Amino acid sequence: MSHYPGAGPTVFDPMTLPSDDNVNAYTFCVELKGSQWFLQKGKMIAYYGQMDFNGVGHGRLDRLVRTSFHSPLHASDWVVAEGSGKMLLADRAFDVNSYDLEDGNLTIRSGNLLAFQPSLALKQSIVPGFLTLIGTGKFVAASNGPVVFMEPPIRVDPQALVGWADCPSPCHHYDHGYMTGVMGGLRALTGLGGASGEEHQFEFVGAGTVLLQSTETLMAEQATGVVPSGVGVPGAGGTHTSPSQTAGTQRLPGQLGDLQRRFGL
Amino acid sequence: MAPRTGGYLRCVAMFRLQGSKVLAVDMTGDAVKAKNGSMVAYDGQMAFKKMSGGGEGLRGMVTRRLTGEQMTVMEVKGHGTCWFADRASEINLVSLQGDKLYVESSNLLATDAGLRTGTSFTGMRGASQGNGLFTTTVEGHGQAAIMSDGPAVVLRVSAQYPLTVDPGAYVAHQGNLRQSFQSGVTFRTLMGEGGGEAFQIRFEGDGLVYVQPSERNTIAGDV
Repeated sequence: MSHYPGAGPTVFDPMTLPSDDNVNAYTFCVELKGSQWFLQKGKMIAYYGQMDFNGVGHGRLDRLVRTSFHSPLHASDWVVAEGSGKMLLADRAFDVNSYDLEDGNLTIRSGNLLAFQPSLALKQSIVPGFLTLIGTGKFVAASNGPVVFMEPPIRVDPQALVGWADCPSPCHHYDHGYMTGVMGGLRALTGLGGASGEEHQFEFVGAGTVLLQSTETLMAEQATGVVPSGVGVPGAGGTHTSPSQTAGTQRLPGQLGDLQRRFGL
Repeated sequence: MAPRTGGYLRCVAMFRLQGSKVLAVDMTGDAVKAKNGSMVAYDGQMAFKKMSGGGEGLRGMVTRRLTGEQMTVMEVKGHGTCWFADRASEINLVSLQGDKLYVESSNLLATDAGLRTGTSFTGMRGASQGNGLFTTTVEGHGQAAIMSDGPAVVLRVSAQYPLTVDPGAYVAHQGNLRQSFQSGVTFRTLMGEGGGEAFQIRFEGDGLVYVQPSERNTIAGDV
């Protein structure tokens, strides 16, 4: 849509702005006709028409929140836009794209999700740091670089993973042969002899789609909120840390961490 | 390569975009004003001269110093093509036909030497953007290049379609626009239950507004 280089930039008005579609790779336009959208705080950049932005805690929205928002402690990061007009969404000049779900499910890294229709239900994923959308409707997600869709079986780099749809089995995969033993440990520790940085991947099998971004620069993580503590709830309580984790500093997701130790070094 | 219509200035520098992050200016003995140090390459014969106080004379210099809307500008003059870029920002061309462009000095890359630049008071909008209370104006006939974080979206404001903009995404506007500052700060904001869009600028009248697909860190983004 952007006309480079050329006859000057395209000028948009409410008539020419697309409805629920991209204006350019970095800007998405949502049309509201008395309807509502959930969006992450501060991602609206401009709008025509009359709109209200209310925090999810707003009393009037209680029913809506009950049906389509299941991330109670994550609530302060989300607002509900309602009214009529056209609204532009963008996020730190990252690529934005909309996706349609039809009676489906999709799990996405929390920092990447920008906005969604209330016909979808947002839930915290069991996988920490991820959110799951269930239902029928449209959502908008940001990515660092254009998104690529892949079919499982596939192994992906942890930093490139944006989300997955319908895949029942996201799991870790390690290149054991390359990492075990004294030499493997030395390689991982010193980088000598070629630590490729790709010894650890996420593996997906089964039917579904895996969404990847085309860089390995992660987008800032949004807190997904703390899950209620309970036995068997992954990531619960926040006090649940194994002894090996308390020793070192907080690790970034996808880092190798204390694998050397686990593999006998 | 938009062919220029009308010959309102003697020989005018030709602005064109090469990709979206490099500005190429073809000059035939005329001059452009550009952000200091933004030249990346040139061919032909060029002279670069730093202009103190944004090339607005002593009065402009004092005004800029006082308002904090400082701008270090150089004048580039010569024959040939000069390329400008700054921190891989996206560049947007604006052509002015006698109207006024309001832009933050930090977002202004280059202007035709025939354009007048100055400072003006913005009031609460500037304050909410964290850019100070003053902004730079560019006026006259000719082209200017402004920078944004991500390609700017140009939105038309007309009588029946007023526009509301997030202060953090606002880059520039031109034309005959009135702006009013809206604050949605309520007791809910204080309780951390705000809508995230507590500060907004509303544009009414007739003109164009440039917004970027990214928000500067403003206080408004957090409440």
